[in-house]
Amino acid sequence: MKKLSLLGLGLGMLASLGVTAGEAAAQSTLDIVKQRGVLRCQVGTPAPGFYQLDEQGNWYGSDVAICRAIAAAIFDDPSKVEFQSVTSAVRFTAMANGESDVLSRTTTWTLFRDTQLGLDFTTVNFYDGQGFMVPKDTGIKSSLELKGATVCVLTGTTTELNLTDYSRTNNLDIQPVVFEDSNVRDDTFAKGGCDAITNDKSSLASTRAKFPNPGDYVVLPETISKEPLGPVVRQNDSQWMDIVKWTVFALVQAEEMGIDSSNVEAMAANPANPEMARMLGVEGDLNKGLGLEKDWVVRIIKHVGNYGEIYDEYMGEKGKFAIGIPREGSPNALWTKGGLMYSPPFR
Amino acid sequence: MANLDASSSDVTFKPKPSLPPPPNTVGAIGWIRKNLFSSPLNAFLTILSLYVIWVLVSNVFEWAILNAVWEAETRRECLDKVGLAGACWAGVTHWMKNFIYGRYPDAEVWRINLGFGILILWMAPFWFPRVTGKIAIGASAILISPFLLGYLFAGGEKGLFLQLMISIAITAFIFSWLHVLVCLSSGSTLRNVIVSATGFAAKPDNVQKYPVIALFVVLAVVVFALQGGWQLEEQNTNLWGGLFVTLVISGIGIAVSLPAGIVLALGRRSKMPIIRVFCVAFIELFRSVPLITVLFMAVTMVPLFLPEAINPVKIVQAIIAVCIFSSAYMAETVRGGLQAIPKGQYEAAQALGLSYWKMMTLIVMPQALKLMIPNIVGSFIGLLKDTTLVSIVGLYDLLLMLKAVSQNPQWNGIHTEPLFFGAVLYFVLCFIMSKYSQHLERTLGAGQVRK
Amino acid sequence: MAVVDRGASGQGSSLSEIVNDERYRSVFYQILVFAVVMWAGWYLFTNTAHNLEARGMSAGFGFLNSTAGFSISFSIIPYEAGDSYLWVYLVGITNTLLLSFISIIAATILGFFIGVLRLSKNWLVAQLASWYVEILRNTPLLLQILFWYLAVFAILPRPKQSFDVLGLGLFELNNRGFYFPAPVPGEFFGATMLTLLAAVIAAYAVAVWAKKRQNATGERFPAFWTGIGIIIGAPLLVFLATGSPLEWDIPELKGFNFQGGGSVPPAFCAVFIALVIYHACYIAEMVRAGILSVSHGQTEASYSLGLKPGLTLRLVIIPQAMRAIVPPLISNWMNVVKNSSLAIAVGFPDLVAVFMQTSLNQSGHAIEIVAMVMLFYMTVSLSISGALNYYNKLVQLKER
Repeated sequence: MKKLSLLGLGLGMLASLGVTAGEAAAQSTLDIVKQRGVLRCQVGTPAPGFYQLDEQGNWYGSDVAICRAIAAAIFDDPSKVEFQSVTSAVRFTAMANGESDVLSRTTTWTLFRDTQLGLDFTTVNFYDGQGFMVPKDTGIKSSLELKGATVCVLTGTTTELNLTDYSRTNNLDIQPVVFEDSNVRDDTFAKGGCDAITNDKSSLASTRAKFPNPGDYVVLPETISKEPLGPVVRQNDSQWMDIVKWTVFALVQAEEMGIDSSNVEAMAANPANPEMARMLGVEGDLNKGLGLEKDWVVRIIKHVGNYGEIYDEYMGEKGKFAIGIPREGSPNALWTKGGLMYSPPFR
Repeated sequence: MANLDASSSDVTFKPKPSLPPPPNTVGAIGWIRKNLFSSPLNAFLTILSLYVIWVLVSNVFEWAILNAVWEAETRRECLDKVGLAGACWAGVTHWMKNFIYGRYPDAEVWRINLGFGILILWMAPFWFPRVTGKIAIGASAILISPFLLGYLFAGGEKGLFLQLMISIAITAFIFSWLHVLVCLSSGSTLRNVIVSATGFAAKPDNVQKYPVIALFVVLAVVVFALQGGWQLEEQNTNLWGGLFVTLVISGIGIAVSLPAGIVLALGRRSKMPIIRVFCVAFIELFRSVPLITVLFMAVTMVPLFLPEAINPVKIVQAIIAVCIFSSAYMAETVRGGLQAIPKGQYEAAQALGLSYWKMMTLIVMPQALKLMIPNIVGSFIGLLKDTTLVSIVGLYDLLLMLKAVSQNPQWNGIHTEPLFFGAVLYFVLCFIMSKYSQHLERTLGAGQVRK
Repeated sequence: MAVVDRGASGQGSSLSEIVNDERYRSVFYQILVFAVVMWAGWYLFTNTAHNLEARGMSAGFGFLNSTAGFSISFSIIPYEAGDSYLWVYLVGITNTLLLSFISIIAATILGFFIGVLRLSKNWLVAQLASWYVEILRNTPLLLQILFWYLAVFAILPRPKQSFDVLGLGLFELNNRGFYFPAPVPGEFFGATMLTLLAAVIAAYAVAVWAKKRQNATGERFPAFWTGIGIIIGAPLLVFLATGSPLEWDIPELKGFNFQGGGSVPPAFCAVFIALVIYHACYIAEMVRAGILSVSHGQTEASYSLGLKPGLTLRLVIIPQAMRAIVPPLISNWMNVVKNSSLAIAVGFPDLVAVFMQTSLNQSGHAIEIVAMVMLFYMTVSLSISGALNYYNKLVQLKER
């Protein structure tokens, strides 16, 4: 009886506090999103550069921009996104059980995750790599000198596994100290609780900026792992996967062609070459297979800019919110400039 | 007699005025001697305590006040001024709105304030000694107000059921306060006023309630008609956060756990074996695991339990987990209270021919609840503190909001100050609750004390 | 009249009699509840099975045998990155049990001490004790753990300037942890341990015999001191006879850190201290309430029987106070075990940290892992509360 009353109560609360019902199993994610009128995009708890909260409670950052681009492609309105901020421990279950439509947070693409979690990785929007940071006064110049060292690391991420692999490969006998909260980890490191800190190099930069004297710390040159980060969707919905994947490609291709948020409408009115015309929906019907409107690329670029603009704004050294990671010479440069950012052709 | 006195007046024994007590037993010095240095051990303990207090207070004072920075735009400014030697309160003041309301839009914050204002007003009659019918007012506040408050907070489209409940809630609120005003001004009750005004005073008792009900229905219909055109902009629960979410989760947890706990405790003591087994299983299952695991289960597994068509909102999942967990705890608290009631009370009630429910509601529960007040408030305090764990599943409660500041580029890495602020806030809330429970214990338990 | 009436109504409405009969009603309610619970269970099960299939998530415990691949910074049982998830589960369990066990012991001792202090006549001490209880009870434990970790254990000196605790060069405290000499048992050390076991049994037998004799003849026997003598003396003799087969491994500073000896990480110390201090204040309240609950008449009665104050305390007051103290004390112990799961916040690898966070993330088997973690906590809690119920039965006031 009690159990019954609790159950009834639970169901009652579900009913009264707002349940989104009516999503039949057979429907594609695109239909669901269109019907709902808003994209549910999963990000993490705030991480500098990728997804952050400002004082007004708005999300911004490079992974956030990907979500906004997808929303722009579907609705012509980048604000039609509901951001779900989820701790890393429950990120995959929140995807697999249908809570979020797309996961756009620093998630490393690995074979295991791609095949055994009921998820599909679409493509890479940021190439990261794991590194170490040590206090300058230790005089350490290479991570191979870290024999027997205690290293602070965050839990629930691939960094923990990479650290173990690296230590085993090079016989370093590294002692990991695992944290759940990056602030506690950084304070521990700043007070000498561990000899080094390891994380993706992108976030080491912002960790360094936290300390009273950032100059006292150096990031070691070695990159010990490959961390391709990109958006993730649920398995077995290839149309939705295509939409997410080609949204990222459109951002890269636009930059390669020199299309940005300021000139995209002029370019669409007067495309410089046939490929640009196809991409911007002036010629042909490339949009059909995706189930989007003809001008979907124009919408994306108009509202969120191209890949380079996003990078400069949030990750690079120019924008107001940027965390200062140079793009030149990194894998995140365009392929034409020696990087790995490469979009398949729009035809 | 008077004569005798007068004649012997010249030989009367006149005592000298008594000497003042030794100077070291009165006044400040005397107090100190008596209370602090009565024995060598006490003197040692006193000096040790003074040292501990000095170390704690001086360090906290230096960091939190003496070296603190109150005005700054970024954390870098604070660091340049004082480094880590002083607190950077500017970060806390800049984010204060987020700590309280989360990401709720500025323009809509009045809805939260209004909601909590209504709730406080609704509960206020409890503190007026002259008001009668407090139980009915309290029950309406717990059972009906969530619909009105829930709508105020969430907004969006109203279904017919929700419109109805909102109308009833508003009417009940108006009725409660009319009643309170009548009580305070004339010492009568609203019912008496209505009955005499409509001329039903002469009618028998069971007819007298009709004009009251009629008035309630009429008022509810008027409110229903008025609220039809009124709609609030929808605010997704994603935007809820900060102290607001902490209070919502723990508030619902408290409101649900008390009745559910009573029912579970009665079930556990029931004579029906199947019901008893289920209640024991439920209580022991959820009491024996940490709240983190229950929350995890709710967030990762509830969507798998339900049909695919239903996609529950995360805050609802967390609330369900908190309710289940706190009901199991409350059941044990209530059981403790029930066990303290002497068997004679049950036997006397049965001898009077009372049914099970009458025995429980009229004889046993009132006594047991009185005994349980400290433990119940203790559970509530525990619940308020435990809601910090919902941050682990990604709900932006006070704790996660306090942590989020540190990831903002302007305030990169600031986290001791927000956490300190959070600890003080929690302390103030819980301390008030615990002091209030001690007060209740004294006033309600006055008749229980054996001397 | 009355007889006729009853007969008539009894024949006329056998249905209402059945409805109003308490026995039938209770059977009906039970069947109803049973059916509803079974239906709910079946409904949830089929939904889960369907959802798992529809979402391509694999279920089952096969993953427990695959390699975990991450390291754990502190473990009592040997662990390497190549071990299986099942082994990770065991490592987490032993870590949680160790932390909870020593926290429970320390919290109980400290709690009794503070409980007595709160009854102190020293105004300042009583005030300090009461503020201690108020502040700790009214702030979340999670924040307290963070405080101890960040404000105390993280600012200890680095290994090279370690703090030598007793000045003997044996116990070193620094920001990497607390280092202490570890015993290394030699060849015949087992014999000493066996003697110790035998001595404990012998001491118990002496105590039983002494009590029996006192009941029969009224003569006393110093069973307590005899027992202590047996427990210390016999193993010591055997230990010396076998040539002191125990050596100590003393920690030494090498490279980045101390090597050798035993050690616990600072996170362990921080969680330990936070748990002890937090729960001690609850225990203190229980002790205070327990002592106050014994009526003063009991003391007076035992004085009038001629018992000395010490004996009064031991034979009259404490046994009765324990009746009030033990039940809440044991549920507090259960809370210590459960609250040790907050250790993850500062990076101590307890069960929740290594299994429900890292392993869950790497393998993605949410249902199985959460269920296994809940199973462990349930087993521990239920065995503790089983022991409590047994004790309760022993000491309960026997009612009619």
